[in-house]
Amino acid sequence: MATRALLAVISASPPRIIRIKASTFPSSSSSSLQFQRHSRIARCFSSDSNSSVLQPPDVSRLAETARISLTPSEIEECGAKIRQVIDWFGQLQQVDVNSVEPAIRAEMEGGNLREDAPETFENRESIRASIPSFDEVYLKVPKVLNKE
Amino acid sequence: MLSTLQPPRSLTLLPFRRLHTSKTIASLSSPSPTLDASPISPPQSQILTTRRSLLSGETTASEIAKSYLSRIRLTEPQLKCFLHVSENVLREAQEIDRRISRGEEVGPLAGVVIGVKDNICTEGMPSTAASRILEHYRPPFDATAVRKVKEMGGIVVGKTNMDEFGMGSTTEASAFQVTANPWDLTRVPGGSSGGSAAAVAARQSMVSLGSDTGGSVRQPASFCGVVGLKPTYGRVSRFGLMAYASSLDVIGCFGSTVADAGMLLHAVSGYDKFDSTSSKQDVPEFESQFLSVDSFESEPLKGLRVGLIRETLEEGVDSGVRSATQEAASHLEALGCVVTEVSLPSFSLGLPAYYVIASSESSSNLSRYDGVRYGNQVMADELNKLYECSRGQGFGGEVKMRILMGTYALSAGYYDAYYKRAQQVRTLIRKDFKAALDQNDILISPAAPSAAYKIGEKKDDPLAMYAGDIMTVNVNLAGLPAIVLPCGLVEGGPSGLPVGLQMIGAAFDEEKLLKVGHIFEQTLKGSGFVPPTLPNVA
Repeated sequence: MATRALLAVISASPPRIIRIKASTFPSSSSSSLQFQRHSRIARCFSSDSNSSVLQPPDVSRLAETARISLTPSEIEECGAKIRQVIDWFGQLQQVDVNSVEPAIRAEMEGGNLREDAPETFENRESIRASIPSFDEVYLKVPKVLNKE
Repeated sequence: MLSTLQPPRSLTLLPFRRLHTSKTIASLSSPSPTLDASPISPPQSQILTTRRSLLSGETTASEIAKSYLSRIRLTEPQLKCFLHVSENVLREAQEIDRRISRGEEVGPLAGVVIGVKDNICTEGMPSTAASRILEHYRPPFDATAVRKVKEMGGIVVGKTNMDEFGMGSTTEASAFQVTANPWDLTRVPGGSSGGSAAAVAARQSMVSLGSDTGGSVRQPASFCGVVGLKPTYGRVSRFGLMAYASSLDVIGCFGSTVADAGMLLHAVSGYDKFDSTSSKQDVPEFESQFLSVDSFESEPLKGLRVGLIRETLEEGVDSGVRSATQEAASHLEALGCVVTEVSLPSFSLGLPAYYVIASSESSSNLSRYDGVRYGNQVMADELNKLYECSRGQGFGGEVKMRILMGTYALSAGYYDAYYKRAQQVRTLIRKDFKAALDQNDILISPAAPSAAYKIGEKKDDPLAMYAGDIMTVNVNLAGLPAIVLPCGLVEGGPSGLPVGLQMIGAAFDEEKLLKVGHIFEQTLKGSGFVPPTLPNVA
């Protein structure tokens, strides 16, 4: 089964170098699948004179920011998986992106804005039916406690 | 056999005599391929067969609809493809029959039975994205793609199961049920559009709509042995598609033939003022590509330049998948193509870049599910607590994980290191694809590194599951169109497991993909990928 071999770290040389295989079509025997640890991931998190230190994720803090409550066992389980994935993201730090423009999305045509003119939506009753707590024209929510 | 078509947008009815009532629906019980298949007639388009049968009076929309509902009742206990089956199917079919009998025009999809993935809004019908947080939600509007399908006479038979909010590759992350692969009930159908793919494979619907953010139409198409078509970003309006990653999401089409997937795509394509990312590019008449195999020349694709992506046949890809892909390349050569290897040097970067971008954008998109305006609410004595508890209890584990990863990647001080960097990698990937497609008409690769694996096999190992997306994510990052069609079987399951070939085209060049895909499919020996494990309708 193809699994972690596909996550193998990119070569030490800059990513634009092609790895050439001897045969055009690889032989049919599959090689053993081994997950190659990213030796350079540790370096991603070490202090460098020019790069900022990326702290590993604090799951409780993130959950608070994202307004999601987690049980203690979820924090532990989720946390381990998240740290593993964020570790793996670290290989992007090795890519030479000097003077490469970030692409927000695929190439887009311009001028796709419409008039900022409100229209009445006919099926208001259906919208209202979906609201969990509703009182005449108001959506009901509990009070807001000011933390400061 | 398919005939050359010059279809109008709606059908002009010929006067007809009802010859006899037939209960037979074409292609529901085609012979299935075996590993040493002998030539079988090429698969027929369900949409065209339906159209011909209705116009000639051979059958009625009501009879067709009853047949599909009966099949769903028979097979759902084992498959669980549907989260909701529509109560209006027979009524809509009867309306079509009434119009036909009155000599009125009906649309080109009249009587076509369609499944819709549950993250696509259907008015009045539950649309949950397979999440508890939207458990009883009924949207007040149809997605544009659904509206168009209905306007053309299509019948939405139900809402299909998926990984929650599109986050997953197996459909196991649904909050409600696990869908089984019709080829082997112990295996996954793929994801996140697993229900839509399995429903078409099992002939519970003729075609279906799914969504593809990182391969969620193409990979389940491969696992289930059906055609999955991912259009160019912007080709189909995303209005009404519950957003996962806004720069990557597209609505895609499943069919049992390339022609069906292509005709469904044509129906839902086009500029929409409600989606500012939808394209104003003309939508060609895709149907003109679906010529009869009898009309093919001896080398119908002579001179077509095909680039086989070298990085997709390396270590980590199952040997059976590699063989099937190599055989598919040989088949293309026999059809006259010139197949060479191409390299996409940035290929392996696509996977981490995709997951950074998708997690980040999803953390923003899913912030709207707060229990206040719709969906399940967990009452609390304070507003933030209401948000936290509604979301904590409403979202599944994978969704929570991706939101938190995205929150991290977008945090102050980390944006440059993760999200911005991933966007820069996206530029590199786009450039590599553009260079390869300047030299080639299409690119090909496997759709997935393996055939369908067992239910439960990858559930606890996120990286192992993510690794399976390697063939598909780069196409979303580049915004290009791609089609997956079954090209062979590998060992596994009661009668083998299907494997799909992915063909990737230049932006807005779905026409070429459909032409090549159709010719490939119609000339493939032993084609007609119908899972043999399920009973046929009497």
